[in-house]
Amino acid sequence: MHHVHGVEPNATIGEIKSMFHKSHPQWYPTRQSIRLDAKGKSLKDEDVLQHLPVGTTATFYFRDLGAQISWVTVFLTEYMGPLVLYLMFYFRVPFIYAAKYDFTTSKHWVVHLACMCHSFHFVKRLLETLFVHRFSHGTMPLRNIFKNCTYYWGFAAWMAYYINHPLYTPPIYGEQQIRLALVLFLFCQIGNFSIHIALRNLRPPGSKTRKIPYPTKNPFTWIFLLVSCPNYTYELGAWLGFTLMTQCLPVAFFTLVGFIQMTVWAKGKHRSYLKEFRDYPPLRSPILPFIL
Amino acid sequence: MKTTHGDVAARKKKGPGALATAYLVIYNVVMTAGWLVIAVGLVRAYLARGSYHGLYYSIEKPLKFFQTGALLEVLSRVFLTWAVTHSVREVRRRLLFYFHFEIIIGYSFNTSSWLNPLRYTFFFALYPMGVSGELLTIYAALPHVQKTGLYSVTLPNKYNFSFDYHGFLILAMVSYIPLFPQLYFHMIRQRKKVLGHVEDYSKVE
Repeated sequence: MHHVHGVEPNATIGEIKSMFHKSHPQWYPTRQSIRLDAKGKSLKDEDVLQHLPVGTTATFYFRDLGAQISWVTVFLTEYMGPLVLYLMFYFRVPFIYAAKYDFTTSKHWVVHLACMCHSFHFVKRLLETLFVHRFSHGTMPLRNIFKNCTYYWGFAAWMAYYINHPLYTPPIYGEQQIRLALVLFLFCQIGNFSIHIALRNLRPPGSKTRKIPYPTKNPFTWIFLLVSCPNYTYELGAWLGFTLMTQCLPVAFFTLVGFIQMTVWAKGKHRSYLKEFRDYPPLRSPILPFIL
Repeated sequence: MKTTHGDVAARKKKGPGALATAYLVIYNVVMTAGWLVIAVGLVRAYLARGSYHGLYYSIEKPLKFFQTGALLEVLSRVFLTWAVTHSVREVRRRLLFYFHFEIIIGYSFNTSSWLNPLRYTFFFALYPMGVSGELLTIYAALPHVQKTGLYSVTLPNKYNFSFDYHGFLILAMVSYIPLFPQLYFHMIRQRKKVLGHVEDYSKVE
């Protein structure tokens, strides 16, 4: 049992966490989970003490969430890897391919295009992390960074190895295939960005409010009529485009795995929307219109 | 504040439902029977021929059938028997004895929980035996895989993909180093739980 004294009735959970942190310096606030019931849900930082079902003394259950790391740090690290690694393969840095190929460049123009697209994609993600996204949670468990980086860095290296390989085979249908793939890729990059902006605008700076997203004047957001998480829909489209462009099986695997993960996330988000909002538009599917 | 570190109140674990239990029992009975059939078939073939030659072919059909069933349970053992022995003649013989002995014991113990004390104690020896059997088999198969390029794909090809089965097998062997101790100690912990439980019941009597 730990005691915290002199707490004002109008104190928030967040403030209580800070007070608790002072007496227990190893448990910084983001690592604390506080609940009224041992098996209940975690209380939010914004909850006010006097609005909770407690008397003049309040008993809470505490749980240590373990070492935490900020979402921004995780995103920046996990996206930096693919950007740098892919370029290493593109420039054929020594010890990857046979020595005679060191620092040579591919003779296929699609390989240069692919490098530009891949790099653009991750630069976009990095910038969005810094300037666009408004995160609900400040932190996540530390072990996630190892898991996430293994995924992103591993797949990036695997894809890049084949696309930039001296024995790379360009797409079967040549320019037609590459052009179609590029159009799809760019369309979905713009779409994905449009959704990120729309979601950002739903939420005032520094707040964690949740609202139903609706189509805006931007045609790329009209997909909100049919889908709850169109950012994932567009992301899938972009990677399908990249798969078509490079005609590379590892890229197809990456697209598939990403699709599975995003579908799980989209279904969860869709369910939360339905639970939270009575008037949630019934026509919407989680990630693929009418299908999934 | 009351503190509960790590996981909160231990939730009561729900056991498998009636349907799941029935499935498990039937599955294990069938597997025990299947592997017994194969073992008997082996012994009979050996007695008939008087040598180990051609032993594999005498039980190939039931072997293939029951391996597909085992896929549901332990992925690594299926990969081993199916992929390695199916194609690598030289190591088939060696494998059969380690492997089937362990499987028969394993599946027969799954059928009745009163055998648990035996099962959990036998595993002390069986696990290392089984693992060494698997590792030895993979190791023996390596030169053949390298020579023939078995299951391997090289560049260039239109999918821009390659796979080196030889390298993959080496990786699989290395992965035993972290995986085997984890499995082994998990079983030790399970054993303490299960056998400890049995002792409690006898005290109540």
